[in-house]
Amino acid sequence: MAAAPGVGWAAVCEKFRTARTLSAVESRKDPETEPYRSKYSARALLQEVKQLLSAAEEGGEARLLAVRRAVLEYELGVNHTDTEELSAGEEHLQRCTQLLEPHRLSPDCVSLYIQAQNNLGILWSERDEIKTAQTYLESAEALYNQYMKEDGNPPLDPSEHFMAEEEKLTDQERSKRFEKAYTHTLYYLAQVYQHLEMIEKAAQYCHTTLKRQLEYCGYYPVDWALNAATLSQYYLSKQCFMESRHCLAAASVIFSQAGQVPSAEDNETEQDQQDLRQRKAEIARCWIKYCLNLLQSARKLLEDNIGELDPDRQSELKAQRRKEEDEKEEGRKKAVLFGTSDICDSVLAMEEKVSSVYPLDFQEAREIFLVGQNYVQEAKEFFQVDGYVTDHIEIVQDHSALFKVLAFFEEDYERRCKMHKRRIDMLEPIYADLNPQYYLLISRQLQFELADTYYEMMDLKVAIGNRLEELDSHTIKKINSLAQLAIKYYELFLDSLRNPDKVFPEELEEDVLRPAMVAKFHIARLYGKLITSDSKKQLENMQTSLEYYTFLVDYCEKYPDAVRAVETELELSKEMVGLLPTRMERLRAKLCPFI
Amino acid sequence: YSFSVEGDAIKVYVRVRPPSEGTVLPDGDQGLCLSVLSSNTIRLHSKPEPKIFTFDYVANMETTQESVFSSVAKNIVESCMNGYNGTIFAYGQTGSGKTFTMMGPSDSDNFTHSLRGVIPRSFEYLFFLIEREKEKAGGGKSFLCKCSFIEIYNEQIFDLLDSASAGLFLREHIKKGVFVDGAVEQVLSSAAEAYQVLTTGWRNRRVASTSMNRESSRSHAVFTITVESMEKNDEIVNIRSSLLNLVDLAGSERQKDTHTEGLRLKEAGNINRSLSCLGQVITALVDVGNGKQRHICYRDSKLTFLLRDSLGGNAKTCIIANVHPGSRCFGETLSTLNFAQRAKLIKNKAVVNEDTQGNVS
Repeated sequence: MAAAPGVGWAAVCEKFRTARTLSAVESRKDPETEPYRSKYSARALLQEVKQLLSAAEEGGEARLLAVRRAVLEYELGVNHTDTEELSAGEEHLQRCTQLLEPHRLSPDCVSLYIQAQNNLGILWSERDEIKTAQTYLESAEALYNQYMKEDGNPPLDPSEHFMAEEEKLTDQERSKRFEKAYTHTLYYLAQVYQHLEMIEKAAQYCHTTLKRQLEYCGYYPVDWALNAATLSQYYLSKQCFMESRHCLAAASVIFSQAGQVPSAEDNETEQDQQDLRQRKAEIARCWIKYCLNLLQSARKLLEDNIGELDPDRQSELKAQRRKEEDEKEEGRKKAVLFGTSDICDSVLAMEEKVSSVYPLDFQEAREIFLVGQNYVQEAKEFFQVDGYVTDHIEIVQDHSALFKVLAFFEEDYERRCKMHKRRIDMLEPIYADLNPQYYLLISRQLQFELADTYYEMMDLKVAIGNRLEELDSHTIKKINSLAQLAIKYYELFLDSLRNPDKVFPEELEEDVLRPAMVAKFHIARLYGKLITSDSKKQLENMQTSLEYYTFLVDYCEKYPDAVRAVETELELSKEMVGLLPTRMERLRAKLCPFI
Repeated sequence: YSFSVEGDAIKVYVRVRPPSEGTVLPDGDQGLCLSVLSSNTIRLHSKPEPKIFTFDYVANMETTQESVFSSVAKNIVESCMNGYNGTIFAYGQTGSGKTFTMMGPSDSDNFTHSLRGVIPRSFEYLFFLIEREKEKAGGGKSFLCKCSFIEIYNEQIFDLLDSASAGLFLREHIKKGVFVDGAVEQVLSSAAEAYQVLTTGWRNRRVASTSMNRESSRSHAVFTITVESMEKNDEIVNIRSSLLNLVDLAGSERQKDTHTEGLRLKEAGNINRSLSCLGQVITALVDVGNGKQRHICYRDSKLTFLLRDSLGGNAKTCIIANVHPGSRCFGETLSTLNFAQRAKLIKNKAVVNEDTQGNVS
């Protein structure tokens, strides 16, 4: 090995090492007033090393010198970008890549070259030129792939160029550092694609980054688990349940490691414990959403045009599933799997606890529901109403939604009704306590959901009653009281839209337009459904009903933009506005036949 | 100037400070990057085309503290008396005049200083209105004012009224909304007292900046006054309560690491094992997803959580965007104006806070 004459090679290496320590370790302790003190000292040292190298130019081996110089240019480039001197940083990094260009595929250069490209990518993003950043990062990615294909041996780490022979790294350590540099490339690319709104690609790179973190043990379990759980939610929005479940199962498995391994600072505070419990609850909430989405998507597939389970569709889908089961193995291989063998086994075991295919009957739906319900309990353990009002209510709303979708699969109307009653029992007390001054939005959501649930229960009672030969007074009472309660909550919702002077808005805001119109429409129908033997009362109800239908029709006439939001409702309302007066006329005639 | 009452969109005010003393400008307006065209438009001398921004109100360099107060804060303090929650934010880069606008000239504890800012003036006005109400009601109405003063630095919450306290937590109460658990609440009986509390707290903030290596412009300060009124009419007791939040945001240039900033990539650089920012990327991906049924593990920042009601919630809110006209500040000024433009799109729904349960007595 050719050493620099004059100054001992050992001294050069020492200076280089000091510079790196200054930059990476010391700089963190710099005072706010001189944030870059250590970086500047490091820079001075690097420049000294550079001069020593130039002095040694003669007699040295040209290639070796070029590579060493490239290392220095790289360090200087990073140093300058760290200290907000972008142009100087760019020059150094460019010089680095120029020096390396001819040798970039050789084991002593490839890692440095990739890291220089990474840094150029970051530098251009600082200048808000994401496209330029993209080209550097993509070329780094390509270089990694080419190197792995053509050579694949663990390459030298850049720092080794200034190390004595006996200090050089093991192959294992080299490989670890090289892979880490490449993981960073992918991580930056994930961001680049996100900024360029190439969402699918960004997600794919996030996924791969997570996978590589696991493979090379470069992760904090809690962070990793949260990232994976969040990624599962991306897959949910794309209806990719298998991928979503895989992310969640991996999140749960990796998270359980966090509890076992004592954290870096051994004296765990209460705060850390609390954080840990919160994270666990967050992951549980992601699982709840998983179960809920799977059930709701299945419902969408199975329902007929009035929202009931369509048996033909059901048997069709069952047959289709039997066919697909044979091809299932293949589908499995396509997804990117997390973890090495033992982690992977635990993840697969975790996955087995819940299905990732659409449930097609009550039994299957119930199994998913129960898993979801367990996670509801787990999430609630941390997110208690005292202290976490919003989170707690959101979880209760999910629980209610789970019951709602499960009820869809239930054939027995009485039992279905009981499921809705469970929803009422969980929502009503919370609503009663909630202060709309601070929780207006949630308060409205609860009003609407309570109203809808009562509405649904009333419909079920009517259906049950229709099977009887004659409506008994108990059923009539039940139907009327459910209808009244539904009306009450719809009215509360509509009242929440009034301004401080209690006036209903002339024109509805876009975000409340549809719910407000639906509320009006449902109230109209509810007045139509109220059962009474008193004809006068019946006439009054019809009159009220007509007023609400008329509101819809008039409003849409005045604001034609609203029509799109309530097409079906409007059509029916128009029909009723046409029919009701005649019916009322007939009723009136019956009441006073002599007029 | 009449305050527009229709709609509940967040009101946005821009104030241009005079160039710092001592900076000698080359002839005319050459050194300035903007000009105020009217009381609600501003022109930024960007290239190639100049850009025109329109806001609810633009205060030029000559605008007095009194006039800023009456256009920005007066109406919010009045609504506060009527039971609405109100919030006033100051936004802008360090040195753009936020503190001057909100507090007044630095190192003047003088509550009567002619250059005192929006906050002391709001105190005066609030207590003036309280006294007037009390007189009108002739003893039938009583008021209780309390205040707290907290600082958010590095996503941690500190109590400025109790410098010994460690980090505090945000919690929610089903009746009282979001609150800082354990924050000291001080009862106020006059504007002078409020000002006293504020300046003591403000000093704590500055003390903290040297002893704990914190820089004030890196933290957000939130001063909250709770106004509770109780009115007795025959047997009916009517209780109203509302909050007035006065917020001094960290220098906008410090917010590069939060979502407000555009394109930059998050670096993994020295982070050895964890790429914790990856979560932010994924969160962004889920955000654009169309499904509603999803949960995102990463919470809002402490500040947005605390002021949730003020941002697109149940309150009257205004933002004062402070800008420095110097051409060297062009970039920051542009980003401040862009932020202010976006803020105008946030809509608030204000609902009167009447506690009907108080009716039974």
